[in-house]
Amino acid sequence: MMDASVISFYVISAFLLTFGLMAVTAKKIFRSAIWLLFSLVGIASLYFWMDLQFLAAVQIIVYIGGIVVLIIFSIFLTQDSGSALPRAIKSRKIGAALLSVFGFGIIATLLARTAFVETTTPMDVEMKTIGFKMLSLGGDGYALPFELVSILLLAAMIGCIVIAVKNIPGKP
Amino acid sequence: MDLILMMKNELMLVFIIVILLVMKVADNGRSSGYWIGVINVLLIVNCIIDWLPVSEGELFGGVYKSYALGNFGKSLLSTGTLLISLFSTDWLKRCQHIAEFYLLMISTLLGMFFMISSGNLLMFYLSLELSTIPLAAMCNFGLTERKSGEAAMKLILSSAFSSCLMLMGISFLYGASGTINFEVLSIIVQETPLYIMGFVLLFVGVAFKLSVVPFHLWTADVYEGAPVPVTAFLSVISKSAMIIVFSFLLYHVFGSLYNSWYLLLYVLSIVTMITGNVFAIRQENMKRFLAFSSITQMGYILVGISGSSAEGVTSSVYFIVVYLFSNIAAFGVISQIAEKSGKETISSYKGLAKHNPFLAWTMAIALFSLAGIPPTAGFFGKIFLLKAGASKGDLFLITIAALNMIVALYYYLRVIRAMFMDENEDSIPVLHSGAPLKVALAICLIGILITGFSGPVYEYIFTLSNGI
Repeated sequence: MMDASVISFYVISAFLLTFGLMAVTAKKIFRSAIWLLFSLVGIASLYFWMDLQFLAAVQIIVYIGGIVVLIIFSIFLTQDSGSALPRAIKSRKIGAALLSVFGFGIIATLLARTAFVETTTPMDVEMKTIGFKMLSLGGDGYALPFELVSILLLAAMIGCIVIAVKNIPGKP
Repeated sequence: MDLILMMKNELMLVFIIVILLVMKVADNGRSSGYWIGVINVLLIVNCIIDWLPVSEGELFGGVYKSYALGNFGKSLLSTGTLLISLFSTDWLKRCQHIAEFYLLMISTLLGMFFMISSGNLLMFYLSLELSTIPLAAMCNFGLTERKSGEAAMKLILSSAFSSCLMLMGISFLYGASGTINFEVLSIIVQETPLYIMGFVLLFVGVAFKLSVVPFHLWTADVYEGAPVPVTAFLSVISKSAMIIVFSFLLYHVFGSLYNSWYLLLYVLSIVTMITGNVFAIRQENMKRFLAFSSITQMGYILVGISGSSAEGVTSSVYFIVVYLFSNIAAFGVISQIAEKSGKETISSYKGLAKHNPFLAWTMAIALFSLAGIPPTAGFFGKIFLLKAGASKGDLFLITIAALNMIVALYYYLRVIRAMFMDENEDSIPVLHSGAPLKVALAICLIGILITGFSGPVYEYIFTLSNGI
């Protein structure tokens, strides 16, 4: 029953969830960012486990190399990274824990009771296919969403600049 | 050519964004009056182009859909944006970043347009984000005020949370069906637990945007903290867009889950109407007051949508038209008073009619319309919503809705009493409003009355919503 593949799946998942939990519960914000980094490594390894090398590489480059580093930068620029965050109120902790267990229970039962059908079409995850799909205008292409994301990024940048820019008094 | 004609609304907005960017980069200290003038002209052109007829169909292999009701919605949203832009002239003159403000506002509008036209879950999700993230930055435009920053923070955190739940729902739907395309989904969706769970989580994301109880907790604080034009945009444009998308999703994509979502709407509409009313009665701040009033109005719309297909959609879209004009008029008055005198509480509105009859009357008509007193359009809007809701034959829901409308009369009339009947030593002095504000308010008033008096508006929307 338990072959090496299944065992490695559980090991990766345990790794991912442990560091995810640590990222959420850490008392220092900088440590949170580091635990998040490990958790993202876990996700990348899940992709490797599924034989999706390209996605795994993207995950490492974009999330671990880019986003976590950005998060760390912004912590250093804005926060007092050494000091501990205030403790959560106990009653809230209990409420949150109960709710999480409840939510997890619902989702777990739901997934356990659903009979999933194994797909027969082989998955084409070659980089070439992904590249073509990204720019194709047809039904299964992603050209329009891709452009939409670029506008979203533009708007987000403008928003950030307006919030962050220092207003020189007297100048419009 | 098809692409240019069918996507003309979106392309026009992108065009405006590009123009504004170029102008901003090449700017060397032009006056705010110049900016406002140029932008308003652009918005007027945009509004005219949006009202021109568009052919229906699909682009990019079904990723983008153009349908009659959606196009009507887009034209309506452009008009609303123009009106908001007109009435906020005074606030904008004080604002340090006019170009950025409009860039963000138009990006948000673009997000809503794409959301209305989205043909699959990916487009839907991305455009929902595009219509939320810039909006949070807009909430922060009272740059020196702490409250404004707090509002932006609350909006972005709660919307991030709702996006998470929604993404989970989308992944369930994808996992169950193997497709993200709405057309295919509408055929495959069945009443199995996995689909229902996916739908419910997707619904949470929508409900956050509509601030349906119990997902309303951000509403009052964000409305209070954000500058008035942004509040108006959030409350009117953002919600109207969501209602159109919502009715499309319910009737077109998840039509086969009818029994499940009828129950969901049934419970949530009752909770929403009652909670909104109970809190609205207690509010002193006008913006918070309108926040809870808008929550209640969303409850009525849910009653309407829960009815049978064509009538449900028609009555809710008709109600959106009414809601848009009434709320923009109310926010226009509030923004003028807040801008000129800094007052936002109901008690400071006492005796407003004495010195500012135009503002007071506009406010009164807008509130009459929101309360649903004939002959304003709000009356007919509510009648149609109740009629659509009653088509299922569930009189309990309709009774609750009608009772709530009566309770709502109390707090709307409270403001009107303060403005017209209460004496006040320290009443607001005569405010000189500029021409753009007067034009915007006049258009809103005409809108409220015309939509109320003329049958063709309802019939026109009815013909549009048959396509859904």
